[in-house]
Amino acid sequence: MSTLTAAPALTPAAYVPPSAQFRRRMIWLGSCALLMVLGGVYLKFKPWMLFTDFHHLVRLGGEMLPPNLAMLWHKPALFKTIGETVAMSFLGTLLGGAVAFVLAFFASRNTAPHRLLRAFTRLGFGLERATPNFVVLLVLFIAFGYGPFAAMLALALGSVGLFGKLFADAIEQADPGPCESVASVGATRLQVIRYAIIPQILPSVVANSFYAFDVNLRAAIALGVYGGGGIGFELQLAMKVLRYPDVLALILFIIVLITGMERVSDFVRRRLIQSSESLK
Amino acid sequence: MLHVENLTKKLPDGRLLLDRVSLKVSRGEFVGILGASGAGKSLTLRCILGLTKADSGTATLHTEACGGKSYDLLTCKGREQRNCRRRMGVIFQGFNLVKRLRVLDNVMIGRLARIHPLRSWLYGFTDAEAAEALEALRRVKMDMHADRITGSLSGGEMQRVAIARAIFQKPAIYLADEPIAALDPSNSLGIMKLLAPLAQETPVVGVFHQPEMTARFCTRVVAIKAGRVVYDGDPRLSHNQLQDIYGDELMQVLRPAPTTPEPAIAESSRSLPVLANFA
Repeated sequence: MSTLTAAPALTPAAYVPPSAQFRRRMIWLGSCALLMVLGGVYLKFKPWMLFTDFHHLVRLGGEMLPPNLAMLWHKPALFKTIGETVAMSFLGTLLGGAVAFVLAFFASRNTAPHRLLRAFTRLGFGLERATPNFVVLLVLFIAFGYGPFAAMLALALGSVGLFGKLFADAIEQADPGPCESVASVGATRLQVIRYAIIPQILPSVVANSFYAFDVNLRAAIALGVYGGGGIGFELQLAMKVLRYPDVLALILFIIVLITGMERVSDFVRRRLIQSSESLK
Repeated sequence: MLHVENLTKKLPDGRLLLDRVSLKVSRGEFVGILGASGAGKSLTLRCILGLTKADSGTATLHTEACGGKSYDLLTCKGREQRNCRRRMGVIFQGFNLVKRLRVLDNVMIGRLARIHPLRSWLYGFTDAEAAEALEALRRVKMDMHADRITGSLSGGEMQRVAIARAIFQKPAIYLADEPIAALDPSNSLGIMKLLAPLAQETPVVGVFHQPEMTARFCTRVVAIKAGRVVYDGDPRLSHNQLQDIYGDELMQVLRPAPTTPEPAIAESSRSLPVLANFA
């Protein structure tokens, strides 16, 4: 009997038999399927429409072709709008990144002057991330009027939440050893940040900034459609006046722009990281 | 120079980690602190540095430079604490260098407390300071690596850089927390050979795990056991004295006697009551 009382400590308590595992899996799958059906019913989604109404799509495609690529040389203003979009996302990323870089030190456990301040800043970042970009834009339109400036500010504000969280996480992951040793020579808190923390987080800051620039470029196009200017606005205009070949051409330009910029930022980012790695 | 008296540190539940630790370090001394892991050696150093708060006791640092000012190390805060730390050159077990900075930058960090904070942010160090830092690196034979990124150095090299930083800091005392614990024997010997001549100018207090090293290089040994100073004197310890310091378990590791407890362990693992129950 004594062996029986000793047993519980070694019983595999978390053991689940395969049959129960199967049942559990089926319950999950079943509830997902049920939710899908309910959602479809609610949206009056008719799957067969994909086949019965497909000819509309074919007709639209026919109207779009051939794309009006001649826009490129017949309409030099197009380059101005592309430039606007790129400038919007670039400035928005830079501004948002700079603000987030400072705020991130208040949002990190190891650098925040006070616990409550950290919680508060983190909460701010979270709320900011939860607010959709175009909602911010609509408010800014009221303050600054339509155009790329309001869109740039909306992107900057949108980046603060994302950047802030990423930077703060990088700061919290910094090795405490060097910070302690820099403090041990009698350095101030700010000097510890400058000489122990910033060198450690810099690669992650650079990489995240390039990533955010890619994200913001896409967002800049979408915000343009709402009235933020740039190539997105141009696209919306062409759609409104039913110039489908222009629409297709603009879509192609956007795809080229995004992939091109992604390549460029990817290249620069890799070079920067590589150079710091090789020095290491 | 350094005078520690009745340093005491308790856990929240009242257990004593440091029990009235007292030690005195004067000019020209190289003091080695010995003791088993968890005895409180590193904790003593951390308390002196103010990285951990002591519960009671005093620690005073007298400096001969600057008109013989003395610093109360345990109660100081803020600016005063930074002034204290500035006068203590610390060498850590894990080197704790900023790996992404160059070697020379890491050495120059030793002077952060002496330059204006605004300059340290906006401009950095001057060429003259860099030349002096290079001189410190030359002393530890690392000047040819001055421009390398610190993370690419080996452990022994990093520890030399850490010592160069402490030299560049021009402290009133060096505190070394297990400076050779992470190094191989030949690197350890090299570091000890650097520290010993340093101690002739500025006292060195180091925590060590190698009685043979302290016997060879230190001028005095302090042994701590369970938070209490149990020995303070000649660095050449006898076998019996070491046994007192490290306890019987360690001596068994060093000289494994024919053991008897083994069958008992085997017996208990053979019984396997659970499997018996399942069957």
